[in-house]
Amino acid sequence: MLRDITLGQYYSAKSPVHSIDPRVKIRFVLVYIILSLLDRNSLLFGMLTILLLAVALLSRVPFAYMLKGTRGMFLFITVCSAINIFTTTGDVLIKLGGITITTQGIIKFGFVLWRMVLIILMSSMLMYTTTPSELTDGLEKCFHLSGSVAMTITIAMRFISVISSELDRILKAQEARGVDFKSGSPVTRLKRLKNIIVPLFQNSIDRAGNLGEAMDARCYTGGQGRTKLRPLSYDIKDFIIYVFLICVVGLALFLAVKF
Amino acid sequence: MIKIRNLAFEYFDRDDEGHLTEMINAIRGINFSAKKGDFIAVTGKNGSGKSTFARILNRLLVPIEGTVVITGLNAMDEANTMAIRKKVGMVFQNPDDQLIGSIVAEDVAFGAENIGVPENKLWNRVIGSIETVGFRNAKEFMEKRINQLSGGERQKVALAGVLAMQPACIVLDEATSMLDKKSRNEILSLLRDLNKKVGITIIMITHLMDELVYADQVYVMNQGTIAMKGRCQEIYYREEQLKNLGLEVPVQAKLARMLFLKGILDRDDLFTADEVTANIKGKYPHKFYLDTAMPKERVSHRKQNPMRAIIVDNVDFSYGGNKVLEHVSFSIEKGEYVAFVGRTGAGKSTLLQQLPGLLKPSQGSIFVDGVDIWDKTTDLRSIRCKIGYIFQYPEQQLFAKNVYEDVVFGPRNVGVSEVEAERRAYESIRLVGLPEDVYDMPMDKLSGGQRRRVALAGVLAMQPDYLILDEPVAGLDPEGKREILQIIDALHKQAGITIIVVSHDVESVSQYADRVLIVENKGVTDGGTPAEAFYRLYGEDGDINMLPYSMQLLVRLRQMGLAVDCFETDINKCVGEIEKALGR
Repeated sequence: MLRDITLGQYYSAKSPVHSIDPRVKIRFVLVYIILSLLDRNSLLFGMLTILLLAVALLSRVPFAYMLKGTRGMFLFITVCSAINIFTTTGDVLIKLGGITITTQGIIKFGFVLWRMVLIILMSSMLMYTTTPSELTDGLEKCFHLSGSVAMTITIAMRFISVISSELDRILKAQEARGVDFKSGSPVTRLKRLKNIIVPLFQNSIDRAGNLGEAMDARCYTGGQGRTKLRPLSYDIKDFIIYVFLICVVGLALFLAVKF
Repeated sequence: MIKIRNLAFEYFDRDDEGHLTEMINAIRGINFSAKKGDFIAVTGKNGSGKSTFARILNRLLVPIEGTVVITGLNAMDEANTMAIRKKVGMVFQNPDDQLIGSIVAEDVAFGAENIGVPENKLWNRVIGSIETVGFRNAKEFMEKRINQLSGGERQKVALAGVLAMQPACIVLDEATSMLDKKSRNEILSLLRDLNKKVGITIIMITHLMDELVYADQVYVMNQGTIAMKGRCQEIYYREEQLKNLGLEVPVQAKLARMLFLKGILDRDDLFTADEVTANIKGKYPHKFYLDTAMPKERVSHRKQNPMRAIIVDNVDFSYGGNKVLEHVSFSIEKGEYVAFVGRTGAGKSTLLQQLPGLLKPSQGSIFVDGVDIWDKTTDLRSIRCKIGYIFQYPEQQLFAKNVYEDVVFGPRNVGVSEVEAERRAYESIRLVGLPEDVYDMPMDKLSGGQRRRVALAGVLAMQPDYLILDEPVAGLDPEGKREILQIIDALHKQAGITIIVVSHDVESVSQYADRVLIVENKGVTDGGTPAEAFYRLYGEDGDINMLPYSMQLLVRLRQMGLAVDCFETDINKCVGEIEKALGR
């Protein structure tokens, strides 16, 4: 169901990972992604996997919750990376008509999938353990964004689920009126898309108007003179993580170069 | 605190090239005043200008004429915008699109952050206002995600966000109109506390007539002017005038009036069950006996009819790993008018979406007219032609460029001839009582109530035998609500359509439904007649407001010792029952 799209929605809990400064978490995840792109190396990937498991365990986010949010994505990337099986040249394993499957292809598929799983899960960990406004504060500081850009991101995250449940309702209302979404020529499908997008757009515009009004009514002027409920501030724990991160980078480079 | 003289406001409507096509006098000649600590209600039908008026109070809109002084500040002067908004907080209608943060605490803090409340005081304000709106465990509650909350909880969060700014006045623009009765009562008594205990001025815009009793002063608006002004008892008894303004006399006032005219009540300005029953007991103490027992809960079973039309057999439904429904079995007969009631989030919509196969049960079967809808040989589209489904706020799902095109969409989908589709479309538009000149009107020229009727027509054009309606009257003003209920009743009585409705509105359910099914604890129980079902729900919950108002009176009287039959929802019969028990 479309309502299942969570895009890694915040999971409220008290854990060591939740309490880390968002700037640290954002940089950590960025470095992690870069490391996983370094090389296809089972030692390196093994280390990254251990790191992921450690973060996941410490975060106290239930495994079922992670699975629910990422299930759809995994299906997608499995299919995408499976292309490697058929397109890589090397020792032929199976030959069926025009399709050849090579050992190298399967290995490559395995690594690409592994890499994507690491990247998706670690980025999800960031989303699960950081509230949207902490995240935008962090992004604002890390990438020097302006206050209104950060506010836009906050609102967008807040409305993902509202709009996806609205989409679900529009689809069902049309199904109830005899639309069979599984059939039809490309032209009819395109027409159908219009019927879905028009009300969705209309409602979003109405919502945007209402929301703008509600923000005005609560004295929003764009950031000057605004105070913050959770101002960002580093503590000793955050510096320890930065040091740890540097060690991880060192180890990863060592693994990537040596093996 | 607020002083307004000769207020005028206009909307301009321009065409694509920027020429003025229409100038709408939204408001004119309004005089209004509120003192500190007043509780004022402003009512009127949709389009009467009451929401425009609300926005002027917070300077979201700026009038073109008049004197507007708010908390001593001239609202005509732009320099005062922020100072006014700081003093006058606002809660809007829709719980979905007025919250900005994703987490409760972050949203509640939003306004206070904007006005620069120092960081060391922010948390106290946030926690304090979350507690004020009734969440005892504020520290835990404030970490919740907004998406997890019910509509009622979201409105309370919106109110907390306003309170965190420490305003002198709160304006509520139909803030309770999208909520169920329980949340509505909670918000209203919260407002009363804030008004009486904290001294915050409350200005409540509402079209729910029974809410007026909370106000010291009521303004009734019509076509941008003040049509009536007075205390609520003065407003309630101008029945003819209210009707002309598209409003109605609430059942509380009808009953008070009837009991007063019969001489059972001393006065006609008692609009709560507690006041009315206390007055009756004061007058006839000798009729109340201490040993009058409360009646037992009961369910009168209907006649067994072999023509069961919809059968739900042992259905389970899981969503995201959680069981939402478990071992659900019930049946609905041809020609019934059935209402489903239950708490918000009990799974009513999830359950009913299974009937036309919009959701697939994880286990169990559903039969419609003897056909298993998930059988491989069944064409789901034929089932969907039989069962029409009207979603909540269906006007939000309209997509075509004009009324006709939207209504004809369904028949075209199921492959009837163009001539037949056209015939059906015109017939359904007539059935919902829309005038002929709307056929080719674009949607945005229609009122909210009319748009809802267009959506209804679009489903009727499928010529269904069964009609499922999810909260069909939610958010409508009294006139719009009366019209929709009459259309549904006519479809049931004249066209013989089986009606299945989900509703929080106990008064309309008890007026129209034959039978009530209660959705609770992941299952469905046959509650019997509306009176029986509501009595049972009251027994479980203990909140007398769950009952229709006439039953509130009867149950209270019985609890006080008067031997009345509690199972009456009709107001005439309720009065008769009280008369009889008093021996008159």
